[in-house]
Amino acid sequence: MSQLKRTPLYQTHVDAGATMVDFGGWEMPMKYPTDIVAEHLYTRKACSIFDVSHMGRILIDGPQAVPFLQHVLSRNILPLEVNKSQYVILPDERGGAIDDAYLYRYEEDRYLLVVNASNAEKDLAHLEEQIRPFDARLTVITDQWASIAIQGPKSEEILLTLSGGQPITAPKKNALNTLTIEGHTVRTAKTGYTGEPIGYELYVKSGDATWLWNRLVELGARPAGLGARDTLRLEAGMPLYGHEFGVDQEGREMPIFAVSLAKFAVNFVPEKGDFIGRAALERQYEEFQRFAAGDFSKIEYLPRRIHPIALLGRGVLRAGMPVYWEGKQVGYVTSGTMVPYYKTEGEGDQVTLLEETGMRSVGLAYLDSGLPEDARVEIDVRGRRLPGALPKRHLRSNTPPYAIPELCE
Amino acid sequence: MNFPAELQYAKSHEWVKKLDDSTVLVGITDYAQKELGDLVFINLPVEGDEVSMGEPLCDVESVKAVSDVMSPVTGRVAEVNEELLDAPQKLNEAPYEAWIAKIEGVSDCEELLDAQAYQEFIQQG
Repeated sequence: MSQLKRTPLYQTHVDAGATMVDFGGWEMPMKYPTDIVAEHLYTRKACSIFDVSHMGRILIDGPQAVPFLQHVLSRNILPLEVNKSQYVILPDERGGAIDDAYLYRYEEDRYLLVVNASNAEKDLAHLEEQIRPFDARLTVITDQWASIAIQGPKSEEILLTLSGGQPITAPKKNALNTLTIEGHTVRTAKTGYTGEPIGYELYVKSGDATWLWNRLVELGARPAGLGARDTLRLEAGMPLYGHEFGVDQEGREMPIFAVSLAKFAVNFVPEKGDFIGRAALERQYEEFQRFAAGDFSKIEYLPRRIHPIALLGRGVLRAGMPVYWEGKQVGYVTSGTMVPYYKTEGEGDQVTLLEETGMRSVGLAYLDSGLPEDARVEIDVRGRRLPGALPKRHLRSNTPPYAIPELCE
Repeated sequence: MNFPAELQYAKSHEWVKKLDDSTVLVGITDYAQKELGDLVFINLPVEGDEVSMGEPLCDVESVKAVSDVMSPVTGRVAEVNEELLDAPQKLNEAPYEAWIAKIEGVSDCEELLDAQAYQEFIQQG
């Protein structure tokens, strides 16, 4: 077995008593002594930091950087201005995802693509193959830079204290900035993977990682591991490659439009031209649009879709559990766990988080297209058929500073 | 970690409290709860179930995984601690109060360790 890779924060995690695990070839913190439930709750009420330095970071530049990116990414990148970022998918010819990623434009002539750690080698091989006809260049900077996500209601306040009042980014989602803080260059992004209305991802040179981490802890952020990162993203309904993208239980490739978030990440505008997977994606999109109008007469290219699922009975949803409706199997759980939440008081804009907490089992499922929105499904939870519901979402994120849980009755 | 002297311990990390000659309470040890992490669900055994030494008694779930709790004795489940259904975190917070099952008619039993021997056993890893 090859040696596991370590981020510049490895020793910091070990010193903090973290439980380290192999994740995508990296030795990463699963949790700290506080444990996953407390880390999840602290993110929702205050502010957590996550070491995401394991993710693959690739710079793209050269005279034909833009046509190259238009060819390999699902999204039109022409509207992406300097100091903006966007969610993108790397499609294959069949309309499946090689990976999902974020594209950042910190500089006029250079783009930064951040990909999943577990796919980094595969992505790089694909991009190296595809870049050949273009006058453009790939540079992997995973080892030279580190990345820390800071997420939760207090994250902006903490960063403003650290920056001495310099604005972290423009106030919009996906905005970027480059700051000099205490003599260090910090690239900032108003992005995240937790569903928090306020949260940032920060990029620093590897040698500056422990400085930034320790300063954030001093200012009140607490470390959270990959365990909480997964429960937070799942509660937020965000897809994870290998679960909601990739191949399904039967080994068939899942279409990109099975994840509804794809509608923001795929463009067919004429100026984008042809790109990898375009024809297949157009076929999926046609069905996707008909579904939106309530027409499920044709489900050839999108036979199943990813949908939030909540367990109503006692137990825990886990990836792979079959889902039934009216006695027949209609799909399976792609990701599932038990998550904690703060109970709430009030309605609409007046909603506030209480001190009292609860637990609920939530997940995402890959289900037959055309199931009614209010379908009461059953999930095979380790041999018992328990009732489940298909809510629109598990969490509301448009309510700063707090994300508000939406519970199923 | 805490291992009360009045209890006995199985190498599969359950504690056993003898109530009389053929009745015991079973739970998981402080070491077990720390290793498992935050417990978020317990699938309790059912009253009247016959259980066998070295076979699963029930299972507990953390955020990340499901784990079996083994039965250190052969007998019949007389009572289960239903309080744990709504408060599985008690298994973490107070593992020696959070008994899982009372087992009666005990006819066979694992080789159990006293507190000191169990502590030495887990230190050997």
